[in-house]
Amino acid sequence: MEALLDYAWVVVALPLLSAALIAMFGKQLPGGGSELGVASLGLAFLASAGIAWETFVNSPIEPVERALEWSPLGGGFVFELGILVDGLTAVMLLLVTTVSLMVHIYSREYMRGEPRFTYFFSMLSLFTFSMLVLVVANNLLLAVIGWELVGLCSFLLIGFYWEKKPNQDAANKAFLTTKFGDVGLIVGVIVLSAGMFELDTSTPFNILEINGAAAAGDLATGTIVLGMLLIFLGCVSKSGQMPLHVWLPDAMAGPTPVSALIHAATMVTAGVFLLARLYPVMAQSQAVMAVIAVVGVITLFFGGLLALVQDDLKKVLAYSTISQLGYMIAALGVGGYTASMFHLFTHGFFKALLFLGAGSLIHAVHSNNMSDMGGMARAMPHTFWTFIVGSLALAGFPLTAGFFSKDEILIAGDIWAGAGFATGALVYWIGLAAAFVTTFYMARVCFLVFAGENRSHHPPHESGKQMVGPLMLLAVLSIASGYLLSPFSPDQPNFETWMATPILDEDATFPFTEDGATEATGVQGDGVQAGGEVVAVEGAEGGPVSVLHGVPSWHPDLLAIVLGIFAVAIFLAYRFYGRGVPERDPTLRMGPVSTALVNKYGFDAFGYRFIVVPVRDTLSRWATYSSNHWLDGIVGGVGRATMSVAQSTYRVLDQRVIDGGVNGAAFSAAWWSERLKRIQSGDVQRYAGALVAGVIVLILAFIAVR
Amino acid sequence: MSPLGPLLLATLLFCVGIYGVIARRNAVLVLMSVELMLNAVNINLVAFSNLLFPEDAAVSGQIFALFIIGVAAAEVGVGLAIVFNMFRNRASVNVDDVDLMRW
Repeated sequence: MEALLDYAWVVVALPLLSAALIAMFGKQLPGGGSELGVASLGLAFLASAGIAWETFVNSPIEPVERALEWSPLGGGFVFELGILVDGLTAVMLLLVTTVSLMVHIYSREYMRGEPRFTYFFSMLSLFTFSMLVLVVANNLLLAVIGWELVGLCSFLLIGFYWEKKPNQDAANKAFLTTKFGDVGLIVGVIVLSAGMFELDTSTPFNILEINGAAAAGDLATGTIVLGMLLIFLGCVSKSGQMPLHVWLPDAMAGPTPVSALIHAATMVTAGVFLLARLYPVMAQSQAVMAVIAVVGVITLFFGGLLALVQDDLKKVLAYSTISQLGYMIAALGVGGYTASMFHLFTHGFFKALLFLGAGSLIHAVHSNNMSDMGGMARAMPHTFWTFIVGSLALAGFPLTAGFFSKDEILIAGDIWAGAGFATGALVYWIGLAAAFVTTFYMARVCFLVFAGENRSHHPPHESGKQMVGPLMLLAVLSIASGYLLSPFSPDQPNFETWMATPILDEDATFPFTEDGATEATGVQGDGVQAGGEVVAVEGAEGGPVSVLHGVPSWHPDLLAIVLGIFAVAIFLAYRFYGRGVPERDPTLRMGPVSTALVNKYGFDAFGYRFIVVPVRDTLSRWATYSSNHWLDGIVGGVGRATMSVAQSTYRVLDQRVIDGGVNGAAFSAAWWSERLKRIQSGDVQRYAGALVAGVIVLILAFIAVR
Repeated sequence: MSPLGPLLLATLLFCVGIYGVIARRNAVLVLMSVELMLNAVNINLVAFSNLLFPEDAAVSGQIFALFIIGVAAAEVGVGLAIVFNMFRNRASVNVDDVDLMRW
């Protein structure tokens, strides 16, 4: 079974294969190519499940790395094409393939009859492939390639309905905003590897080596701080952190299954994943950790607030994604490596569920707006209960996956605060407050959509099997995935041992804390457990000994707080929205706060006024002008100068020197022959005389020489 | 026997021949002058043969002379034929009148 890990590249190759096959033969197939996509994703899912099982039951495992030398970089350095499989990779493989498979199946029905159906499936597979490249990459250059491919595919899919201008604009906005961060990512990778070039290694981009070098203290502090902050800039744009989150709500312009894929498994998780990958590097610098934590906290709170005033169902979910990503980023910033990845994992399932559920609703009423829905519980029972499960998980209702994972983040903050860092307390308290906000806006959505009278202009109907099936499966996962790390899970294996890698366990200390090692693998415990007892778990088959915190335990007083928050939020939401859409939404009656929220804190206006307008009206005009006048002038001038040089060369060198030489030779031959021909007089006696004279001269010459 | 006499005779004959070739206008006389030069050479050959191999019965010089006499006869035959044709075409045997082979 160990050999299974060596073939992780197959998981990556399958979606690429299906993308190519769909693009080439999809139109000839009865299912428009979708069956190819589902089949390949199904196989990829099975392989991922095998890999996940293998890494899970044997956890913690040594990372498996398989690489072939792709291209020499010169100076003895090599660019590798390789895979790196450890628990983190396995989790991401499982998440991406599961969600992508569900989205593929779902889209078969959702996208039926759409123009470009085949193209859509090809792009969906390609998108999955791109994310998988990023996930399995064993070096940062390969990861950047996957990262950029993800950006490209998201651009293509967000702009899927390109006939409408707003959709084109949304695609452009997403692409340009993330591209802004990508520049930071690339420069950050260069900065990190620039430090690696000075060490004794032939593969300066190798992730394991970078992590090891950072943990061993071989990288300079400046390199780590600058490199990680720049890489974090890439994560800010890709993972929708403030202030570069602006593309994410607009990305709702794409088809709903794409939104599910973008917000659950691919694209936005890329940033969090990359940070987790480079966690040992990040953990070397307190400043970097603080910056990441603060950005995460700002995002998780203010992003969540924005969801309150949206009428568009998908936009509520989009802002909630921003908020949840904020949790993950903040968790990384307070040492909650396992907590962050755990939340990423569970969030992937319930957010995919919510988006697909929203798609099912939109499919039924042909509108994105909640004011056009209402009373859907009776018409769409399956969508109803799965959506409720997803909402509960997102709100962190006890015993759902979201509860275990989100509260783990809060406790990570608490322990971090206990270690003497203010950012920890920030994450804890603001995280709790945002949990209230989350519960409230999800309750608002559920009441507006499912309670009251039907306000749509279509008689709603339940979606077909292919749409409801994935919903049910994801609903099960939205609950079950939480039990990987709960008070019910065994000491080993559980999610924490799954995530643990030797480099994290042994080397990832926080050099700036007093007793570094104990917080190393991230902080354990859910919302009902204070801290974690450090236990040592023997790795399987003589593997590494890991410093782990063990499974969380119950902690009733915090459980009471969480339940209290939940109850208050639900009660308030029921009072406001329990009887359908109120005359005037209370979230819009909060004066300047509402104004700020409706205007999205002015980010879009600011961006339009100070980035779009200057670029469009000034910079691009200036660029056009300078291109037309200066650059063209230079190019034209060079052309004209070349012409005149060529012409003078022609006149002087060619016509005078070369032709003159040739003609001169001919003329001189003619001139001489005109004179020399007179010797040939035809008079034989003159010839004879010349002959005799010549003989006499020769004889005299001989005599003289003698 | 001293070769001086024959050699002086040969020199005299050769110079006369050269003079005739260069100076005479009549083609027949030019041919005759050529014969004089050839015969001067013949005298030279015979004289040197006697001078260099006086005791031997070697006659290579004389044999060369015989060859030259044969060649001279043939040459005169050809030359007179040319002169004859020249006379028929130009009514003249003056070599100055014949300069077709000029530029």
